[in-house]
Amino acid sequence: MPKITIDNRIVEVEDGDTLLQSCLDEDLEIPHFCYHPAMSAPANCRQCLVEVGMPRVDRETRERVLDEDGNPVIDFMPKLQTSCSMKVADGMVVRSHRTSELVKRAQKDNLEFLLINHPLDCPICDQAGHCPLQNQTYKYGPEGSRFEFRKVMKPKNIELGPRVVLDGERCINCTRCTRFTQEISGSHQLTIIERGVRNYPMTPPGVVFDEPYSMNVIDICPVGALTSKDHRFKARIWEMSQTPSISTTNAKGSNCVYHVKDNLVMNVTARTNMDVNEFWLADEDRLDYRKFNENRPEGPAIGGQAADWDAAYAEAARLLQSTSGQRVFFLGSALSTTEDNYLLARLAEHLGADAPAYIPHIEAGHGDNWLRTDDRAPNTQGCERLGFSALDAEVLKSRLAGGDIDVLYVMEDDPVGEGLCELADLEGVKVIVHHHHTTNETLPAAAVAIPAAMAVETVGTFVNCDGHAQRLRPAKAIKGVNRTLAMEVGKSRADLHGTPFDRWYTESNMVDCEPGWVSIPAIAERVGLSLSYKGPRAIMAELSEDNPAFTGATYDAMGESGVRLDVTHQPDTHTQTA
Amino acid sequence: MASKAGDWRNYKRVLLPPVKDLHRLDVYEDHGGYDALRQALTTDKWDPASVTDEVKKSGLRGRGGAGFPTGLKWTFMPPVNPDVPRFICCNADESEPGTFKDRQVMEYNPHLVFEGMVLAGYAMTIKTAYLYVRGEYADWITHMERELEKAYAKGYVGENIMGSDFSMDIVIHKGAGAYICGEESSLMNSLEGRRAYPRIKPPFPAQKGIWNYPTTINNVETFAHVPLILSKGADWFSSIGAPSSPGPVLYGISGHVNRPGVYEYPSGMLISDLIDEVAGGMRGGKKLKAVVPGGSSVPVLRADMIDGVTMDPEGLRDAGSMLGTAGMLILDQDTDMVSFLRRITHFYHHESCGQCTPCREGTGWLENIVTRIDEGEGNVKDLDLLIDLCSQMEGRTVCALADAAAWPVRHTITRFREEFEAKCRPSLVATHVESAAV
Amino acid sequence: MTDFIKDPVVSLPDRMPEPVIPGDELFFTDEEKKQIETWVSRYPTADGAVMRVLWLAQEKFSFLPAEVVQLVANALDMPYAKVYGVATFYTQYFKEKKGKYVFDVCTCFSCQWCGGYDMLHYLEEKLRVHAGETTGDGLFTIQEAECLGACGSAPMLQITNGPYVHNLTREKIDALIDALREGNMPAFESVTLPQDEDELSGNRRTDVDKTTSSVTPPVSETVK
Repeated sequence: MPKITIDNRIVEVEDGDTLLQSCLDEDLEIPHFCYHPAMSAPANCRQCLVEVGMPRVDRETRERVLDEDGNPVIDFMPKLQTSCSMKVADGMVVRSHRTSELVKRAQKDNLEFLLINHPLDCPICDQAGHCPLQNQTYKYGPEGSRFEFRKVMKPKNIELGPRVVLDGERCINCTRCTRFTQEISGSHQLTIIERGVRNYPMTPPGVVFDEPYSMNVIDICPVGALTSKDHRFKARIWEMSQTPSISTTNAKGSNCVYHVKDNLVMNVTARTNMDVNEFWLADEDRLDYRKFNENRPEGPAIGGQAADWDAAYAEAARLLQSTSGQRVFFLGSALSTTEDNYLLARLAEHLGADAPAYIPHIEAGHGDNWLRTDDRAPNTQGCERLGFSALDAEVLKSRLAGGDIDVLYVMEDDPVGEGLCELADLEGVKVIVHHHHTTNETLPAAAVAIPAAMAVETVGTFVNCDGHAQRLRPAKAIKGVNRTLAMEVGKSRADLHGTPFDRWYTESNMVDCEPGWVSIPAIAERVGLSLSYKGPRAIMAELSEDNPAFTGATYDAMGESGVRLDVTHQPDTHTQTA
Repeated sequence: MASKAGDWRNYKRVLLPPVKDLHRLDVYEDHGGYDALRQALTTDKWDPASVTDEVKKSGLRGRGGAGFPTGLKWTFMPPVNPDVPRFICCNADESEPGTFKDRQVMEYNPHLVFEGMVLAGYAMTIKTAYLYVRGEYADWITHMERELEKAYAKGYVGENIMGSDFSMDIVIHKGAGAYICGEESSLMNSLEGRRAYPRIKPPFPAQKGIWNYPTTINNVETFAHVPLILSKGADWFSSIGAPSSPGPVLYGISGHVNRPGVYEYPSGMLISDLIDEVAGGMRGGKKLKAVVPGGSSVPVLRADMIDGVTMDPEGLRDAGSMLGTAGMLILDQDTDMVSFLRRITHFYHHESCGQCTPCREGTGWLENIVTRIDEGEGNVKDLDLLIDLCSQMEGRTVCALADAAAWPVRHTITRFREEFEAKCRPSLVATHVESAAV
Repeated sequence: MTDFIKDPVVSLPDRMPEPVIPGDELFFTDEEKKQIETWVSRYPTADGAVMRVLWLAQEKFSFLPAEVVQLVANALDMPYAKVYGVATFYTQYFKEKKGKYVFDVCTCFSCQWCGGYDMLHYLEEKLRVHAGETTGDGLFTIQEAECLGACGSAPMLQITNGPYVHNLTREKIDALIDALREGNMPAFESVTLPQDEDELSGNRRTDVDKTTSSVTPPVSETVK
């Protein structure tokens, strides 16, 4: 591996890497805008200039020329070089702004240029607070501007498509967005138009920027030129806490960040995971967050009447024990965590019931072999690996019609809403439902309704379609007092926003619900089964030990980027066994 | 210093010799046209390497503005790999203000250009050559296409040229109005059907050129010299004009002279000879004020700076300018240098491709300030700001357009500072003293 | 000069324009398609032919509305956005309808100092429109152009991306406009090399009717 010297520090770098990437890998910041590791480097922003020198080589001997002290003589290139376009080479010597006044000056000059036609409307800009232009201007920019003329006025507030809004004046022409549509998504819906200081990104006439990945350009825009139509002006970045977690709209499990303010999810952005979604996130993953905020239940109910938690647990336990285990039908859920499904399986086993089935959420034709899948549930593979089988509507209906089921236990899903049975089919069946929403269509038939925490409120593990096990982290708080959860909320927010010790802490919008790993043990305890774990971490530790399909999937191993599970232990698709 | 052009008064033109209808193929043939190519392809006299060697030996330097040694450039091409296409490209985008010589070559001696391109193709083993002509030259494109067709028909271009096993096509590419396409890497992007943004160098065209294949790009006049060098010899060529940059040069003289136009003379002519004797002297007997010797981007010379200055890279470097394209603008005593600079800054602002920051933003800022000064609203401090902005642009961009925009600003202000100060608001002139003190 | 400096406003193109070329006219003929194929065959990829095909389309439809750009993109199987980016980059491609005759009057560098602005202003006054505008009858558009590479015969102009008219004078402009109103485009004008005037006693070409000999440029009255 080549060795290079950056600001008097010798580091080993990857052959073929760019100088900028090598610096970033070493945690040496070099200001930049247009460079993106996934795309070609046009070197157009000119912000990452550095001084680059190479050891002088004797033409005859091909040996490095040494000075009097025995150090290699370094010839610096006459012009500053863009580190994003410069490939590293052994012996290269680099001076960044840390050691070179020339580089410092060049970076300052460049920022002055970038700002002369930039509107500086940071106070009303959604990007303010997480804006590379703003941040780098503070760090490396000039103190004022010497520009005393009218700024170029460009189209503003232009809906490029249904989800992305352009402010042409803020654009610094880094071309990340157009390169995204050319090199990454391949939609070719954007181009830079015009020339010179007039140019800005635009769709050609008659074209709407509506590709299913359009909102990625918002993430990669280094200024506030491209903003989310959905999120515009809703919340400032510093008013929200940021939690790294997993998207729930499909089986890809794209990594994302949930932005939460007052216990409401306000925005979802991409989180880099080179094993799953790289830098990108589908628009559907970004926009499907209202489900976490709206139509959420307020506490448990028995027979449609509000009840307290103890009573609900007791009634559920009573129903489960009112018949033989064989006549209790357990439905797990591809929407729930592996941990909760595992606890449910333990409960079913204890009662002598069949292993739970799960409702498949397949939307044929939705997938695109990239970040969207036909499977619209985040944890189908978790269920499969637990040995759950996909539920066949006909089988359920015939068993209901044949009177084989006395108690139907539904965890975090909606058989009626999903069309697997109708309310009429459930007459005479005692239904226990853990539900996310008051709109759950199985609820009218519920003898006991237990509000369940959603993916943004719980701790747990999803296994994506490729067998990648990843951790969910709680982004927002629920009403239930749970020390494990409270600690996880605190730990998963880098900024600690939202903990009870933080000034942003608020009790508003907390949902009165419980995660499965709280409610299932509570019911189990009442039917004589102890499922006392020290939280989901311990459950996963046990699973990873005992079940070869989950080998290695401990919380520590999964960390923030997950663990690829052994494919050989992925069970074949089950046919309905019951 | 004296003229390096020798007995230029008796110079016999070779690029544009005094032959009626030389642009016609039959006339061209009658005057030795395609003989050099015939010798190269059908006799043992020239193998490809010796063509390059001869060009190298001749000392020919590119006539497009940068003055890079042509033969040396050709040796940068990687060894021939039959699986990897390689190209040459003739840069006929001629758009540097003050430059109009290539258009005359294309009109009056197109076959010389074709012959030079085919010889270069032979030297570098190339099958396809592109001739990128600026879109404004529509009439000359038609003209060249007509002549090219005739060259094809006679077997001077195309398959098995003159019965040899060497084949090469020439494709004429029509631009559509963008100064930046004269820059070789944006020319390549333009040719590939992209927005004409310059590319980062390295890689250079010889490594990754058109469609990322090895490419050599030369100017029209440069290619036109090649058949002459082969038929008359490198020694003949290197004996003409200034030793460091020998050969005939097409001087495009415009502005306040009595006889503007394109003149062919040896390199190293005295500027004063070109103005007074060649171009018929200053219009209306006015006094010379300034000379821009090589297109709008090269530093302007004051009249008192041209004594003994010769038109070759070294002569002009020593005088504080550059040869560029040898497109000379001659300005007389009535010229307002502030307005002059204002129009130049407008040009570069208009023509900046907008790809990279210092040029996209800087060119407009320069025009803004110079316009303000020209309109009497300027401040003497603006002059220092302008110089500062030039420093912020020079050498910091993907291509040299920012430098080309900055140099005239820097040098026009430096060399005509009193004139700029005189146009600044009177009440503010005094602050110059303060700012200088600070 | 067109004063972007004074009024630096970049307008938004019509994003959902109504097509202006009737659907039944929006196609390339077989002959044109063959021509396009020939161009395409000259480049490693079809994209290389895009500038030529845009030219063809502009000559056919007189300008390049969105549907024509789309047509070009389809003909070359190129992304429409890419072709649109190309079309907007180059100044000779007309993105909006212009006059039948577009005067590109050079005012740059040499022309500035040899009466280019005089000619521009004269045209503006004569046709009663400003640079950048089209006369009410749709006949003439005046534009201020950057250097057109005819500095030795300044001042000069180009008509609709075609013929150059050299050594302009007011009289020459009057005659030009009269001729154009009659529908007569000026013939190609060959510029004499001064050395040819001495050595060949005039222009070297015998196949062109119109030549312009080297003349002393006029004194500019205005330079902006």
